[in-house]
Amino acid sequence: MSAAARPARLLDPGLCLTLRPMTYPKFFEMYRAAIKNTWTVEEVDFSTDVGDLKKKMNDAEKHLVQRLVAFFATGDSIVANNVVLNLYKHLNAPEARMYLSRQLYEEALHVQFYLTLLDTYVPDPEDRHRAFAAVENIPSIRKKAAFCMKWLDATRGLERLDARAERRAFLLNLICFAACIEGLFFFGAFAYVYFLRSRGLLHGLAAGTNWVFRDESAHMAFAFEVVKTVRREEPELFDDVLSSAVVAMIEEAIDCEMQFAEDLLGEGIAGMSTRDVRRYLEFCADQRLATLDLPRRYKTKNPFSFMDLQDVQEVTNFFERRASAYQVGVSGEVVLDAAF
Amino acid sequence: MHNDTSPNSNGAAPSRATPRTTSSTAGEIYPQTTMRVTKRNGSSEPVDVNKIVRAVGRCCVGLSDVDALRIATKTISGLYDGATTRELDQLSIQTAAGLIVEEPQYARLAARLLSTYIEKEVRNQEIHAFSQSIAAGHRLGLVNDRLQSFVAANARKLNDALVPERDREFEYFGLRTVYDRYLLKHPASRLVLETPQQFFLRIACALSETVQDALGLYHLFSSLEYLPSSPTLFNAGTRHEQLSSCFLLDSPEDHLETIYRSYTDVAMLSKFSGGIGLAYHRVRSRGSLIESTNGYSNGIVPWLKTLDASVAAVNQGGKRKGACCVYLEPWHADIEAFLELRDNTGDEASRTHNLNLANWVPDLFMKRVEADANWSLFDPKTVPDLPDLYGEAFERRYEEAERAGLSLSTIKARHLYARMMRTLAQTGNGWMTFKDKSNRACNQTALPGRVVHLSNLCTEIIEVTSSDEAAVCNLGSINLARHTFQAEGRVVGVDFEKLGRTVRTAVRQLDRVIDLNYYPIAITRGSNLRWRPIGLGLMGLQDVFFQMRLAFDAPEARALSKQISEEIYFHALTASVELAEEKGRHPAFEETRAARGELQFDAWGVTPDDLGRWELLRARIVEHGMRNSLLCAIAPTATIASIAGCYECIEPQVSNLFKRETLSGDFLQVNRYLARELKALGLWTEAIRSRLKLAEGSVQRLDELPEELRAVYRTAWEIPMRSLIDMAADRGAFLDQSQSLNLFIESPNIGQLSSMYFYAWKKGLKTTYYLRSRPATRIAKATVEEPKATTDDAAVACSLENPESCEACQ
Repeated sequence: MSAAARPARLLDPGLCLTLRPMTYPKFFEMYRAAIKNTWTVEEVDFSTDVGDLKKKMNDAEKHLVQRLVAFFATGDSIVANNVVLNLYKHLNAPEARMYLSRQLYEEALHVQFYLTLLDTYVPDPEDRHRAFAAVENIPSIRKKAAFCMKWLDATRGLERLDARAERRAFLLNLICFAACIEGLFFFGAFAYVYFLRSRGLLHGLAAGTNWVFRDESAHMAFAFEVVKTVRREEPELFDDVLSSAVVAMIEEAIDCEMQFAEDLLGEGIAGMSTRDVRRYLEFCADQRLATLDLPRRYKTKNPFSFMDLQDVQEVTNFFERRASAYQVGVSGEVVLDAAF
Repeated sequence: MHNDTSPNSNGAAPSRATPRTTSSTAGEIYPQTTMRVTKRNGSSEPVDVNKIVRAVGRCCVGLSDVDALRIATKTISGLYDGATTRELDQLSIQTAAGLIVEEPQYARLAARLLSTYIEKEVRNQEIHAFSQSIAAGHRLGLVNDRLQSFVAANARKLNDALVPERDREFEYFGLRTVYDRYLLKHPASRLVLETPQQFFLRIACALSETVQDALGLYHLFSSLEYLPSSPTLFNAGTRHEQLSSCFLLDSPEDHLETIYRSYTDVAMLSKFSGGIGLAYHRVRSRGSLIESTNGYSNGIVPWLKTLDASVAAVNQGGKRKGACCVYLEPWHADIEAFLELRDNTGDEASRTHNLNLANWVPDLFMKRVEADANWSLFDPKTVPDLPDLYGEAFERRYEEAERAGLSLSTIKARHLYARMMRTLAQTGNGWMTFKDKSNRACNQTALPGRVVHLSNLCTEIIEVTSSDEAAVCNLGSINLARHTFQAEGRVVGVDFEKLGRTVRTAVRQLDRVIDLNYYPIAITRGSNLRWRPIGLGLMGLQDVFFQMRLAFDAPEARALSKQISEEIYFHALTASVELAEEKGRHPAFEETRAARGELQFDAWGVTPDDLGRWELLRARIVEHGMRNSLLCAIAPTATIASIAGCYECIEPQVSNLFKRETLSGDFLQVNRYLARELKALGLWTEAIRSRLKLAEGSVQRLDELPEELRAVYRTAWEIPMRSLIDMAADRGAFLDQSQSLNLFIESPNIGQLSSMYFYAWKKGLKTTYYLRSRPATRIAKATVEEPKATTDDAAVACSLENPESCEACQ
C-alpha cells in the first residue's frame, strides 16, 4: 500500500506516513498529553533514602527492597523491547507510532531512573551486576521474565498481520503487555513502594515511582485504546477463543506475581501479607478485564487502603518534596484582559 | 456478593464459619488466629482477636461511626507469624488511618490509638510527670538550663496543669506529625521522651517568664487555638533556641568574598530551621569585565548553582530540608537565564532544582508591560544604585541610565513578562512580588535610604535589609477554626472577643522570642533587636467559611475576611503599644512611619469602618511608641495547620479529598465538613465516595447535593481567582507585612496568567506566591472502578439491594 494513503484498518500492514486527515486523533492527543508530563531523573531527590535503608529498615524490609530493585532493573527494558519489536511494527498509523516513540523514550527514562536507584541503593559493583542477573538467577524474577519473553517471542517472527490468527496473536501480545505486565506486574510493584511510603520510608523511590506510575497508566490507556479501536474495526477478532486466552494469561500472570510476592514478603512484613497481595492483584485483574469488556472474574475488594492514597491528588508541603504536578507545555500570548 | 463461603483463593486463610453479625466487616477475611506475636519482654503468645478488639474499643468512646472489630480483623489480616506487639500496635494505627477515606471519624480513632502508643513509649522509660520529662531531656543534653530550672522550681504547679485529655483535640495527621518530628527524642534509642501535652507545656514554659504566662500559652497551644511557627516548636527550650522562621539577606556585593560569605550565612541559618530569602541584584551579569583578571564574568548562574548544592547539603537537623528563595529584579541582564533555573530540560549546569525563585518587580516594568513598551536590561556594575531605589527615584535613575546608553540590551517588556508567566506555569516558581508597593507600604522605610530589597522564602515578610542588617521574623498563627461561635446549634460568626484575647497573648509571646532567640549569624541579631518585627498570621479561614456555610467568594465571606484581618491588626497594634508602655519602645521607633501616625491602611488609601477607635489608637501609638515595628504577616502554615487540623492560612481547599505527602508518609484528608453534610443528607456512601474520587475531589457533578452546598464546597480550582485577589487586597490594608497568596489555575495559558498577575499588581498586592496547576495526564485510579462497571447485571442488582456491601462500588 502507498505510504500516502491511509490504511483501512489499524492493523493492516504498511508504513503509512499521512497525518492529515488524521484517522485516530485520540492517539495524537495522548502523545501531546505525554509530552506535557516530561520529567527527568535529576529532579528526583534520593537524599533520605539511603539513610532510611541503613537506619530505619529491618532485614525483611531490605530484602523486599533489593528484590524490587532487581525486578525494576530489567522490567522496563523488556517493555521497551516489545514496543520496538512488536507494537511499532504493526500499528500502522503515524499518530500511533508517534505515541509509541514517546512511550519508548519514557521506558528509557524509567530504566535510567531505576539504574540511578540501583546505583544509589547498592554500593557494591558485584551486587549491582547481580541485580541485573536476577532475571536469570532469582527464581521469582526469572519466572516473571520468562512469562514476558514467552509473549514477546510469540509474535516476534511476524512481519505482517494478514491472517486472523496473526492478528489475534498480536492482540494477545498487546493485551499481555498492557494488562499483565504493566497492569499487574508493575501495579504489583508499585503497591510495595506505596506500602513503604505509607510507613514514611524511601521518599525518593516513591517520588520517582509517582511519575513512573503516571506514565505507565498512560501506556496502559493507550494500549486499551488500541484494543478498542481494533474491536471497532474488526469485531470478529474478539471471540471466545480470544477471551479465554486472555483469562488464562491473566491467571498465569497472577501466579507469577504471587511467587514473587512470596519471595518478597517471605521474611515477614507487618502490614503486607501475601494473602492481601493476592486480593489486590485479583482486584487489579478485574479492572483490566472490565476495561476489556470481559466479565469480572474474582470480584475481590482492594485490601490496600494505602493505594487509595494514590488516587487522590497530592498537595505537597514544599519544605519537604517537590510537587510533581506541573505541566511542561504552555502556550499563549500576553494580554491584560483575559478571564481568569 | 460476599465471597466468604467460597474457599479462599490461596488457601492460606480459612473463612469464618459463623454468620456475620455486623455488615461493616463484609468482604474482610477473618483468619483463624494460629499466629503468634512476640511481646515487648521477649515472650510470645497467640494473637487474640478479642484482646485487640478490647484495646481498640477503649479508644472508640464517643465515636459513633467506627467499628473496633473491623480494625482488629483487618490488623490481623496484615500480620505475619512472629510479629512483635509493637508492630501489632503500629499496624492497628495504620489500619484505622487507612479507613479515614471511608469515615472521617477514623482519623480521631487513629489519633487516639497513636496517643496511647506514644504514652506507652514514654512511660516505659519511667517518665510520668512533665517535670520528669524535662529532667530527662536536660540529663541527655537536649533541654537548656534555664528551662530545667524554671520547671524544677515550679514542678508541682506545672505537673498539675497538664491536661492529658487535650490529646483528643488532634486529628491523626496532626498527632502523627507531632510524634514523628516535634517530640524530643532520646539521642541513642530514638524513643520519644515526652507526650504531646508535655511537649506543648515545654514550649509554653520555654517562651514564658512566669508560670501564669506559661499556662496561658499552654492553653492556647493544647486547644490548638494558636500555634507558633515550626522553628519555635522545634527548638524552644533546647540548647540552640533558634526560634525564627524567616531570614532575609540583602544581595551579596559584587565580590568573590561576599558571595562566598553569603553561602556560609545561608547554611548557618538553614541549619537551625530557618527559611531564607536572598537577593542577587548586585552581582554582575554574564559578560561583564572583571578588571583584576581581565576576564569576563559568567554572571549569576554559576553562583546560584553553587548555592543550590549548598542548600541541598544542609538538612535542617534531620527535621526538614533547607530551603531558600532567590530574588532578582527584572532589569538584571541575567533575568532570562534566571527564569530558566528550575526548568527540567536543558543544561544541568544551569539548573537549580533546590532553589525557589522570585521576581522583585518595580512598577515601571508593569507600566511598560501595560503600554507594550520596551524594557532595558543592565549589568548591575553600571547601575549599582538601582537596588537601593524605589518609586519615582528608581524610575528617574532607570530612565537616565537608558538615555545614557548604559543598557546591555533592550527587549519588549511583554516578551519578558511572557517568560515570567511561562516559568510560573511550568514550575510554579518565579513568584511575582512587587518592589514599589512593598516599600511604599512598609513601616520601616520612613527615612531615605531604608529599602526593602526582597521578601522571604514564603513572600509574606517585608522588611528592610542592608549589608549589615539581615532581617529576621518570628511567626505564629491563630487557628480561626477555633474562634467561631454558635447560636441555635449552628456556627454563626467569628468570636471577635476571643480573637482579640488570643492576638494579645500571641503578640507577647512573639515579642519574647526576639530576646530569647539564638542568632546563628551576627547581622541578624542587631537588626532584630532594633526593629523587633513579628509576624502574627492566621489559618483556617476556609474552616470558618465551611462552618458558616459561606461560599469562598460570597460577599459576606469577603467582608468577614476583611474584618478578621482588621481586628487582628487592631489588637496586635494595641498589644504592641501596651508592651512599649511596659518594657519600652523598640529602638528604631522614631524612624518608622508609625511614629508619624501613619498606619498600614493609610498606605492603601483605605479608611476603616470604626474610625474612632483607630484614631484613639493612633494617638496612643504616637505618644507611647510601639514595641514592634511590624506585627502582621500571613505565612503558609503548611505544617502547623496540619498539626491543628485546619485548612492552611487564607487558602481555599484544594480538593474535598486529597492526600498529603510528608516526611512521615502519606495521609489522606477528607473534607470532614462535607462528610458531615453528606451524612446528614444520607449521601455518605461508597458510591458517592467513588464519584468524588473520580471527579478529583470535586462535588460539582454531585447533583444530589443542593446547589448552595455545591457552591460552598467548591475547590480552589473552581473559585474565580479574581475573588481571591480581591480578598487579598482587602486584607492587605491591615497587614503591615504581607501574605503567602497562592493562586490556582488548572491548566494555565500565558494570556490568563498575564491578566491575572497584572490585576494583582493593579490591586496593589505586595506579593504573590506559588502558581498551582495540575498535571496534564493522570495516574490511573488504582482503587476506583470505571463507572461503566456498574452495568454488570449482578453488580446493579447487588447495589440496589445492598448498597453497603456491593463490591462493584468498592
